[in-house]
Amino acid sequence: MSVPFVPLRLGVGAAALLTVAMVGGPAVGQQPATVTVGKTFLASSLDPADGSAGWALTSHGVGQGLFSVDRDGRVVPVLAETVEPDGDGWIVRLRSDRRFSDGSPVTAAVVAQSLGRTSETNPAARATGGALAFTVIDDHRLRIDPERPVPVMASLLAEWPMVVYRQTDDGPVFTGPFQVASFDSGSELVLSPNPYYDEDVDRRPDVRLIRFSDAQSLALALEAGELDLAFNLPVEALARLEDDEALTVRSFPVAYQYMMWLNTRRTVLSDPAVRQAIDLAIDREMLTAAINGGEVATGAFASSFPFAGDAPRPFDQATAGNLLEEAGWVDTDGDGIRDQDGEDLTLDLHAYPQRPDLVSFLPVVEAQLQAVGIGVSTFVTEAVSELAQSHDFDLLLWAQHTAPAGDPAFFLNAFLRTGSGNNHAGYASPDYDAVLDAMAETAAPQDRTTLARQAQDRLFADVPVSFLVTPSWHYGTSDRLAGYEVWGSDYYILRDDLFVAAD
Amino acid sequence: MLDGERRSGAVGWLFRVVILLAVVSVAAFAVLHAVPGDPVIIALSVQNLPVTPETVAALRAEWGLDRPLAAQYLHWLAGFLSGDWGVSFRTTRPILEEFGRRVPVSMALGFGGLALALVVAVPLGFAAAVRPGGLADRVARAVTVLTQAVPAFWLGLVAIWLFAVELGVLQAFTGPLSERLVLPILIVALYSLGSLTRVYRAELLAAVETPMYRTARAKGLSRPAAIWRHCHRRGLFGLLAALTPEFGWVIGGTAVTEVVFGLPGISQFLVESIGARDYFVLQAYIVVIAVWMLAVFTAADLLGRVLDPRVSR
Repeated sequence: MSVPFVPLRLGVGAAALLTVAMVGGPAVGQQPATVTVGKTFLASSLDPADGSAGWALTSHGVGQGLFSVDRDGRVVPVLAETVEPDGDGWIVRLRSDRRFSDGSPVTAAVVAQSLGRTSETNPAARATGGALAFTVIDDHRLRIDPERPVPVMASLLAEWPMVVYRQTDDGPVFTGPFQVASFDSGSELVLSPNPYYDEDVDRRPDVRLIRFSDAQSLALALEAGELDLAFNLPVEALARLEDDEALTVRSFPVAYQYMMWLNTRRTVLSDPAVRQAIDLAIDREMLTAAINGGEVATGAFASSFPFAGDAPRPFDQATAGNLLEEAGWVDTDGDGIRDQDGEDLTLDLHAYPQRPDLVSFLPVVEAQLQAVGIGVSTFVTEAVSELAQSHDFDLLLWAQHTAPAGDPAFFLNAFLRTGSGNNHAGYASPDYDAVLDAMAETAAPQDRTTLARQAQDRLFADVPVSFLVTPSWHYGTSDRLAGYEVWGSDYYILRDDLFVAAD
Repeated sequence: MLDGERRSGAVGWLFRVVILLAVVSVAAFAVLHAVPGDPVIIALSVQNLPVTPETVAALRAEWGLDRPLAAQYLHWLAGFLSGDWGVSFRTTRPILEEFGRRVPVSMALGFGGLALALVVAVPLGFAAAVRPGGLADRVARAVTVLTQAVPAFWLGLVAIWLFAVELGVLQAFTGPLSERLVLPILIVALYSLGSLTRVYRAELLAAVETPMYRTARAKGLSRPAAIWRHCHRRGLFGLLAALTPEFGWVIGGTAVTEVVFGLPGISQFLVESIGARDYFVLQAYIVVIAVWMLAVFTAADLLGRVLDPRVSR
């Protein structure tokens, strides 16, 4: 008689299962025992010589180098006291009071061993000075001989691959304010305070770092009270989060630059007048509006750097039109697109999905170039590195940290010097290269700033690249970290001033 | 005699399986190498390493990509069969290790979702069949329409907002894994529930047209009791047939849910590997999924024989 009710019992059982599952969670608003941080990236390895792990470990507050970059973009000593030129090489003097998280001292021998290994195995560590040879002088001094001349060794030593570590049987140990307690590659990293860092060790919390693949989920986790710090919040969530009194939401301009390569190898774009017209035709204010934030670029570098440009890049469609007309591009058939010898002035414009802001730029740039009579076809290209290397584009939107070690030479050389590996625009200018040559001979910061500005002026005139926007990134904190501020793009998210606010 | 036939049948089946897996592995290898996008350049870019002719050549040699395709394939196959699946260039960890810790998460999600869907689909489908057009039938139809119309990521975000933000009854991201799986399993179950319920209901209603059901009713059994006793078995066959292909996505088919809920499963890993052209990961996945599907269909075949011995005969 009760047979027909069996399926009903199953249904009731399922409902009960769901109820138990849902109400069985912890109480609402329960405070985590540690500080929980959500980020969209996480170290894939604990070996700093491995790919970009050095950058990630530094960002997590674990790794440190001999030098670093401070909030104002200046190169400052960390594990080193000084670095002085000595003939073709450099002498580094180490601080005597620094220890690894296992208590062992930071000696010249360990530094030479770790940086030598990184230089040998990680090509990124050889990008600026080539192979680096390390010679131990005594416990606190070592000599570095770069393969290529390096005008500012402190900047090279502040580059992200140059993390100092000591190999142990349990894996590498570091000198940062936090040490690794447990590591689940790609998803979670648990940190505890480094007991040998300084006298504030007892004030530092344990940190649980969680990787989020979806920015909306990151925002929801912060809103749900599961995170104390959520880094890289999506713009569309900001207004909602700012209304939450338990949260503090901040935005800060970063050292990445959004730019557009103009492929000078293409016949149309080989004319500097056309390139100048394109540069002038773009209203960068509209671009910042498209991504709800950021600043109009002043040049190759974020405005926080001393060697940044002085003024926002100009927008002048009338002059852009005149330049095109003088270059022989006129709309003869009234279709809204300029033409010359029967050929329309149309260009391909590419962006890549890994940087969603750049994809948001596509329709804006397209509309603005069309307003001066340039036809544009837009493309979203996933394999952007291959596209850039193949030179098969007219215009390519690009995001780049242009001063990762606080020095302007890296970007200007690596991306725009004649024949350089990442010279996507195919730019070749003896005048520009001469400025870079002078920079390679100059160590004084003020002189390097002057030369960096001269190089940028050359780029503004020749326009192999159009600097567009310095983006802002956004992060939110719970009450426990309300006073904590993130700076330095994504290079120094967890630092030694990470303390939990008193109740 | 029968044992001999069975043995011969088993050997034939095994032979076909080996041939099939060999074809799959060759096809996977060939197709992945034909896809646009140089993994060496992508790998260098992903790891912020300079892309120069020297670094490209060095990495190509390190991965063995400078050898003829046939040699590359044989090298990979020998390694795969001996348990050396290579290293993911994106995560720099052994691929076998990555699969070993991610597949269980995806399986818990997929099997949990399917099991929950099944548990709900049977009573719901039964109620819908007992009274076509009634409340249960309308609910089943509404669930089907909802899951076909609303993307899983949106429903996932709404579920997080409702249960974690507004109600605060669970920690969707930072709780223990068992707690973090609750909402994803609900979402996965919801997306299977509609179709399973409709299949089960349809099978029951088809069975209602048979003489067996009419006889049971003539003997005085109520409609629910007659359906349960004389139509349910046919409904289970229908569910088994519908579930078999569903098991295919348990390994690798729940990427959206894993991304939204931040679960370290194999599906999310695969999507990222595809973006990075992580060849060795994708090759391994294709072979694993082929083996998995063979296992699923074989298990379904055996289960069908147990449920209905006539199939064996």
